[in-house]
Amino acid sequence: MFHVSRMNQVAAGLLAAAAFLVSPSTVSAADIEAGKSISQTCVACHGPGGNSITPGVPSISGNAAQAISMQLYNYREGNRKNPQMSPMAENLTNREMNDLAAYFASEKVSAPTHKASAESIKLGPVLAQQYNCTQCHGPALKGIQHIPRLAGQQYDYLLTQMQGFKARTRYDMDGNMTSAFSAVKESDLTILADYIAGLEYK
Amino acid sequence: MQFKLALSVLAFAFAMPAFAQAPAAPAAAPPPAWKQGMENTAQPATLHPFAPIMTGTEAKDIQLSKLKVAPGFKVEVWADGVLTARSMAISDKGTVFVGNRIGKNVIAITEKDGKRTVKTILKGLDTPNGIVFSQGTLYVAERTKITRFDNIDANLDNPGAGKLVVDGLDPTNGPGHNWKYLAMGPDGKLYFNIGSPENITMPLYNQAVILRVDPATGQLERVATGVRNSVGMDFHPVTKKLWFTEHARDWMGEDIPHDELNVLNKEGENFGFPFCHQGDLPDPIYGKYDTCKNSTPPALKLGAHVAPLGMKFYTGSMFPAEYKNNILMARHGSWNKTEKRGYDVMRVVLDADGKVAKYEPFVTGFLTDDKADPPMWGRPVDILQMPDGAILFSDDYNGVIYRVSYSK
Repeated sequence: MFHVSRMNQVAAGLLAAAAFLVSPSTVSAADIEAGKSISQTCVACHGPGGNSITPGVPSISGNAAQAISMQLYNYREGNRKNPQMSPMAENLTNREMNDLAAYFASEKVSAPTHKASAESIKLGPVLAQQYNCTQCHGPALKGIQHIPRLAGQQYDYLLTQMQGFKARTRYDMDGNMTSAFSAVKESDLTILADYIAGLEYK
Repeated sequence: MQFKLALSVLAFAFAMPAFAQAPAAPAAAPPPAWKQGMENTAQPATLHPFAPIMTGTEAKDIQLSKLKVAPGFKVEVWADGVLTARSMAISDKGTVFVGNRIGKNVIAITEKDGKRTVKTILKGLDTPNGIVFSQGTLYVAERTKITRFDNIDANLDNPGAGKLVVDGLDPTNGPGHNWKYLAMGPDGKLYFNIGSPENITMPLYNQAVILRVDPATGQLERVATGVRNSVGMDFHPVTKKLWFTEHARDWMGEDIPHDELNVLNKEGENFGFPFCHQGDLPDPIYGKYDTCKNSTPPALKLGAHVAPLGMKFYTGSMFPAEYKNNILMARHGSWNKTEKRGYDVMRVVLDADGKVAKYEPFVTGFLTDDKADPPMWGRPVDILQMPDGAILFSDDYNGVIYRVSYSK
């Protein structure tokens, strides 16, 4: 369809405007400062400002605060388990999680280090729509509210999470991701991961 | 027929450019349960469900001044840190119990010397959305079963595993509306819902129903059918009839179909799903199989996508006399609609014949911009009347419970 790209641009623009308008008014500079002051352990693995340079370790920046605090909660409550993350989250209070989330949500996103193949760049956008990724994660795959940012995320992390949803081993709060991945072909996972990891967050 | 199909495919392609690029090959598996039925509408493809702030919002960050109530009424934060708070119940000793949908636990809030303590009493549960207290016993409805915890107030520190009332309540073990609301009937039996497994589908025998179980014997009965999903119910204080809220299907349109407030006049009554919505609107897929004449219309059309949840008859004496036996109803608010609605507590006034005479806002102000994403900063879920006649309502988005009181 000839008007697709223009429509997507409009949609992306609206989404960006919406994200600006609704940045939670309850988050104060003090919350962000408080979060930053306890973030040293996080950035040791997740990179400066939450921009990971380590394969398999996700970037935290670029997510909405709600998405970050939700995943910390999931590790604390044992919904998600990981030898590194579970002990990190175990003793965090709700307030600490909210502060950390406020801080990392306020950080700038670095350009992706991953370079996608020409084939993935061609097929990726089609698959992302066909498999409903863009429905919730947004036309630019930036995520919104509790729905995580995908664009420019670490390749290995994207792939293991998608494989987990496909295998029904990854925790899924409402069943949406498990349900979505039941339709995804195994061979499309690497194409999606390659395309999304190389996608600039904008 | 072919022409009609071609037209609708065309409309679909234009309305949803995001899907126009997709290859023609059919999808290998069904879409997510909440997305199912989407092809019936031209609603924007970017609508998505909301989730709670899992770590909650502290009382200090709740902007109470944004909430609006009638003169004389006052709203305050009664408890915070009650993460993803949903259904509430109160014991005869004054302990408030709170269940939830995605938190796996049941919370007890006790008060001593004016200080409230929020404490987790049950852990590792599966979707413990339904809770009710009756004669010393706390009943908890999870996804697959109902369990009783006798003499709960004396055992808050160690309630144990409880005793099974009934099991096997999740017929398909698949995605869908598998969280339950629990109410104690005047007959001493427990009433609860089993929702439709999909947005719109032909339900099995014990899906899209309201059931009741006798806690003494475990005997199950169907009391209402054709109920897509009811997550709020109560018994009229005078007529003892069961009133319940019902969520209508999604992806049919911005302003249709209406969610419903229903009343059960005879056991086994059919309320229309999946054939007929809002009493007068045949379903685009299933409408051809049955007529709206064969089902009971709602007592009140509530508006499309407003998502009515908990409802309670007000029987206290704190509020003005005209509130006696009114229904107070929490509306969780819409996601499947461009201009959002709900996110409030409504008041429904019934006349002497039990007919709806008035439907008006009781607490509003959570909805701040109906076109924004998110449009709201709080989502009311359930109502609980306190011994002093004030009411509590829960907000799962913030993990907060509010108290509404009245003084002249």
